[in-house]
Amino acid sequence: MSAADGPGAEGFQTERSDVPPPEVERPEVQPPEQWAFPEPSRHRLANGVELLAYDVPGQYVVSVRTVLPVPLSVEPREVEGVATIMSRLLDEGTDQHTAEEFAELLERKGIALGASVSDGGLAVDLDVPKARLEEALDLLRQVLAEPVFPQQEVDRHLRTRLAEIEQERAVGAHRAAWELIATLFDDGDRASRPTGGTSTSVAAITREHLVDFHRQHVGPRGMTVVVAGDLQGLDTLGAVERTVGTWRNDAQVDEPAPRAATPAADAARVVVVDRPGAVQSDLVVGCPGPDRRAEGGWPAYPVLSFVVGGSPNARIDAVLREEKGYSYGIRSGFRPRRVGGLFLTSGSVRADSTVDAVRLLLEILDGAREGFTDQEVRAGVDFLGKTAPGRFATADTLADEAAMLALDGLGTQFTTDMLTAMRDLTPQDLQTAYRRWVDGRWTVVVVGDAASCADGLRELGIGAVTVVPT
Amino acid sequence: MPLDYPIHQHTLANGLGVVVSPDTSVPVVTVNLWVNVGSRHESPGRTGLAHLFEHLMFQGSRHVASGEHFSRLMAEGGRLNATTWFDRTNYFETVPKGAYELALWMEADRHGHLLDAVTQENLDNQRDVVKEERRQRYDNVPYGNALIEVYAAAFPADHPYHHPTIGSMDDLEAASLEDVHAFFRRFYGPDNTVLTLVGDLTPEEGFAAAERYFGHVPATGQEQRPRLAQLDPIPKPVRVDRPGDVPNDRLHIAFRLPVDNTDEFFAASLALDALAGLGTSRLTQRLVRREQVANAVQGHALGLVDGVSLGFVVVDVADGEDPDVLEAAVVEELERFAAEGPTEVEMESAMAQSERSWLHALASQEERADLISQHVLLHDDPQFVNTFLDRLRAVRPEQVRVAAARWLRPDHRAVVAHLARREQDAA
Repeated sequence: MSAADGPGAEGFQTERSDVPPPEVERPEVQPPEQWAFPEPSRHRLANGVELLAYDVPGQYVVSVRTVLPVPLSVEPREVEGVATIMSRLLDEGTDQHTAEEFAELLERKGIALGASVSDGGLAVDLDVPKARLEEALDLLRQVLAEPVFPQQEVDRHLRTRLAEIEQERAVGAHRAAWELIATLFDDGDRASRPTGGTSTSVAAITREHLVDFHRQHVGPRGMTVVVAGDLQGLDTLGAVERTVGTWRNDAQVDEPAPRAATPAADAARVVVVDRPGAVQSDLVVGCPGPDRRAEGGWPAYPVLSFVVGGSPNARIDAVLREEKGYSYGIRSGFRPRRVGGLFLTSGSVRADSTVDAVRLLLEILDGAREGFTDQEVRAGVDFLGKTAPGRFATADTLADEAAMLALDGLGTQFTTDMLTAMRDLTPQDLQTAYRRWVDGRWTVVVVGDAASCADGLRELGIGAVTVVPT
Repeated sequence: MPLDYPIHQHTLANGLGVVVSPDTSVPVVTVNLWVNVGSRHESPGRTGLAHLFEHLMFQGSRHVASGEHFSRLMAEGGRLNATTWFDRTNYFETVPKGAYELALWMEADRHGHLLDAVTQENLDNQRDVVKEERRQRYDNVPYGNALIEVYAAAFPADHPYHHPTIGSMDDLEAASLEDVHAFFRRFYGPDNTVLTLVGDLTPEEGFAAAERYFGHVPATGQEQRPRLAQLDPIPKPVRVDRPGDVPNDRLHIAFRLPVDNTDEFFAASLALDALAGLGTSRLTQRLVRREQVANAVQGHALGLVDGVSLGFVVVDVADGEDPDVLEAAVVEELERFAAEGPTEVEMESAMAQSERSWLHALASQEERADLISQHVLLHDDPQFVNTFLDRLRAVRPEQVRVAAARWLRPDHRAVVAHLARREQDAA
């Protein structure tokens, strides 16, 4: 089945003479109205924090997202993962409360709090029923400003992270992701190693590293706070000013400008992580990709992700799932980072289909350089544009999008502009955008039974094949 | 104070239960169908059939081409899928308002006339896809089969919850076109289905559209079997050891619970929150924070309808610690809880977290529609989304203690232990 048979093929079965006509005619679809991302109210607090408040009537759980751009490259090489561990300890004891007291406060007020680190920086999120917003914001202030990193909690979180690394090693998709970045990026680049650190670097982290990292890198300057939910009757600005707005950190350093990760000179090759006897192989295929400020514009890339590997009818699953039955599903996507990005395709396939699956996958990915049909472009543009009102209907999804863009130094006007620009995309635009990054040089990682697939992969002639242990 | 999501209910002549819940905040409509068939209706030798069947619902029907359900609705701005579980199968899409009638037309075509399009080729292909789903989600991940082993250990061999929804590889292999036809005729029809519409439409519009597109779909005319009687707790401890290639030891400690949507089930689930579900649960405080012998502890209550529900605690054992010692600590805390009941702070915390997660679920139109369908189909309780929190709040600490003393005693546990192979075991 060629890709063009997918969207728009409806109706041909009604031509069959043995099929009774439908009891009711297939209804026409009324086109939706144009949609724009909601406008926030914006405030710059005295301490430098930027507040974006989205009033979404009927959303009684308020979502608060705080983001602070910190490039991961500021982590000292020998203690990589320090930012992640630091983030996990923010609510494990503050000036005012022990770790257990703090956990109890969160639970009793019905607050969900989480912190994480990505290549773009630190994110601390909370969700809370509307009536307790200000109390929650004060706990958020304590988490950001006054963590004390008790030694016992530090020890526990380091051990937990070390155990987590072993869990990730045991899960094929995680293990494949490690190997992908290690192969695709230059060894000297932070991007070649896991965000949360390796067993060696995590084992080297001490309480002092965490305290120092927090003092130097976590402060109000450059931070964006997003508050989304039913804000009727709340003094949102006042509540944020009285809490997060009082935070000062004179030791906060200026962060270096983010820069693109350097690809490895020998990135275009195949690595097999050996799992003797595995019943499936986890595959990842990748190459460098654009960021949201890409030359030629970003709007083509979400459409390309959809058309190539974003649905059961996209080019990849049309063959690997629906025609061959090799896989439950394989997804492709352009993944922007702060500067530069990745184009990744990943999924798992039946062990004895591994070589053929890789062959077909690369054939589809390379074949897409030959262009896209008008139907494919319309299907992708319509999906992304017409799903937007529903995708961003809840407080948390709206806050997540605003926070993700803020971490990238962008506002949500970006989303509105992107969806507008998408409508004018042509098949030629998609082909040009795809070819800008996809040149047939792929990093291929297979986590599976090397004895049964390594030779076959060599015969495909898609690059040198190395087998490494789990 | 009760919530007040609007609920309008109507039943078509062919038996289709229809609920419309208007919400004009966004110009979209969620179409959500629950069919009263899940893996609990499968017969021996045919496990996994309900789920495999659900896959075939995307392979075309009388007037819809294979794959078109996804491609057409996605191109209209639809987000859609379907899932299968012990108790039911659901089909759902959220589409722009102008496309909801198309969604209903396509749903009616497959819920009424699927069999015209089912072929051996489609069945073989989706059988392969489902086998890969099983490998991806269960067989090729560490601890992936733990819950499957829990179901088998906690429920009697002839009980419908003894086997998992994904089914066994042998049974999937054995499924035939005749099985698919018989399954459809037995279970798929408006008299065994609930349709919920949530979004930017009026009750009149929703009921008229339901009548227009589903009114002609014939009923199954089949009697569905009555639910099974409530099972007692597990009579004596069950232990299943699974030595294997896992990074560290992990215990699943499971219990039978009362059926869903009863005060006793709510009480048992609050007990599990206090014991293991909350961030400040007794087992987390003791094993993770103070003694630091576990990496993590979780607690879950899965509400089910056919004579029993399932509760379980997961203990992820820290490197170098003895799982038997941790299990003994869990036993001690279970005994203590059954004797003492929850503290005021535990009740307050469990209630506050339940409230947030319930409001968060209802915040999404898709989840709200799904919860309405669930409680209409399985409990004939259309107001459940509005009344659940008040019912939970009415549960007294003593009821929680009594539920724990009846259902969560150590004598009633089934333990599935995934144990990492140590170096010395290798010889």
